[in-house]
Amino acid sequence: MMVRNPAKDAVAIVGLGTTPYRRDAGGKSPLALACDAAVAALADCGLAPQDVDGVGATTVPSGSIQAALGVGEVGWWVNVTMPVSLVMMEAVNAVFSGACTTALVCHATYRGAGASRSAAADPFRVHAVGDAHGHNLAMQPETPSGTFGYCAWAGRYLHDAGCGREVFGRIAVNSRTNATRNPHALFREPLTMDEYLAGRMIREPLSIFDMDPPVDSGDAFVVTTAERARDLVDRPVYVHAGSLGRTGHPYADQLTDYQHTGKEIVADRLWAKSDLTLEDVDVFYPYDGFSIMAVSWFEAFGYCKTWEAPEFLADQWDDAGNRLLLDSRVPVNTHGGSLSEGATQGAGHWREAVDQLRGTAGDRQVDGASCALLAPGGFMWNATGFVLRA
Amino acid sequence: MTTPTDVELFERFGGADVDHDNKEHYRGLLQRRLLLNRCGDCGWWHHPPLPRCPRCRSNQVVATEVGGRGTVYLLTFMHQGPPAPDVDYATPYPVASVELDEQPGLRYTAGVVGGPVPPAIGDRVHLVWATRGDRPLPMFAVDDDRHGGGRE
Repeated sequence: MMVRNPAKDAVAIVGLGTTPYRRDAGGKSPLALACDAAVAALADCGLAPQDVDGVGATTVPSGSIQAALGVGEVGWWVNVTMPVSLVMMEAVNAVFSGACTTALVCHATYRGAGASRSAAADPFRVHAVGDAHGHNLAMQPETPSGTFGYCAWAGRYLHDAGCGREVFGRIAVNSRTNATRNPHALFREPLTMDEYLAGRMIREPLSIFDMDPPVDSGDAFVVTTAERARDLVDRPVYVHAGSLGRTGHPYADQLTDYQHTGKEIVADRLWAKSDLTLEDVDVFYPYDGFSIMAVSWFEAFGYCKTWEAPEFLADQWDDAGNRLLLDSRVPVNTHGGSLSEGATQGAGHWREAVDQLRGTAGDRQVDGASCALLAPGGFMWNATGFVLRA
Repeated sequence: MTTPTDVELFERFGGADVDHDNKEHYRGLLQRRLLLNRCGDCGWWHHPPLPRCPRCRSNQVVATEVGGRGTVYLLTFMHQGPPAPDVDYATPYPVASVELDEQPGLRYTAGVVGGPVPPAIGDRVHLVWATRGDRPLPMFAVDDDRHGGGRE
């Protein structure tokens, strides 16, 4: 495998903006949510909309964000499917290549009509095209995409590893413990393993506690050159390495097996590109839209071997803190992950990693955190991994 | 049975993404035949339907009937899910990705009909036809000898 990483540390994240994560943002469109986050992100790094010359977004048309904010002329724009990591990768490449110098990256979520009875009674949600996750509303019970895949692979994991659901429970319990210190999180009550195991099943073996709750949300990031970043902020966060990964079988039910997925490709390429290693990582952000995803990232990145996560997560459990603490040092999903914070397809993981590395994580701040490992995607078609450093 | 027309495919699979690459699969379903793409040049099967053979790049792919026998590879029990007239989630609905005997890694995902014992990964299954609304629905049923002679 030949990999190159000429963009190493050449691009930085300087601005963060987010909205409250709520079940109902109350009359706000996804565009309004994206704009709220974008205004906050620009203010965060002291820029005006006119200072931006690139706009990237997922669900909301980037042109509408540009128009609404009064961003003038841009030399680069893009709309890419979620997760937001795919747009972040585009933005890093655009800034590095010179397609633009300062890019605004936006993501918004909007609860679908199928999310609850109240959502189903909201005409704005009923008439939204698809749901907030882009699901086809004509989906059948047997459609092998969407939630089917991760639930079914979670079942396969338990079968192959020969373990119980506690391995997923540790992800959920860790998440809630960390969320108690995150005012942004939707769920901030601690969760016990017994409560986890008694959780209402949705798609067995995954329950209500294994799936992130849909929210209305907006998140935005300002990305620029390392040079400009140092002029703008005290502590830029550099994108040290990043990779997407996808196999030639990118369909949930056709993956060769659990050991040949996008996550292995991401891990191989990321570690080949990165000067930093697992030992350098201070904070770890495995995506947990479904708990099985987070479990799988520990194995993919080499914290433990395939199917050894049940023992590894038990070994690395900090009883006093009731959470994961790798090597008695590295916390995991310090914001509570998507499971507790709300389903933002990795946007929350990005924001929290940047907050930690620049020292703005409030009560959750990990002393001296200077390297973050992120996997803000799933393991089928949308696997992504990044190493960030301050 | 007359061959369903293209217009019928859109009428009867409303909302599904029927296109030129998968139309024969859908046409087969209406005739209670499970057709998956097979390469006319090298014999390799693939699913979902693609315009070329992933192994030899031939564009001579032909929707071909499978035997419908296989082994459960992935399995989830749905306690809730998209509404369907024939699915009552009060009894968890098993959905399985079945590795078909035709080729390692060739899987088809469908519901599993109820039986005395819930299905499990590794079970041997065979194709059966049920009905959803006005159209045939492929499903799997667990063999009487559920551990008989298959790969896992």
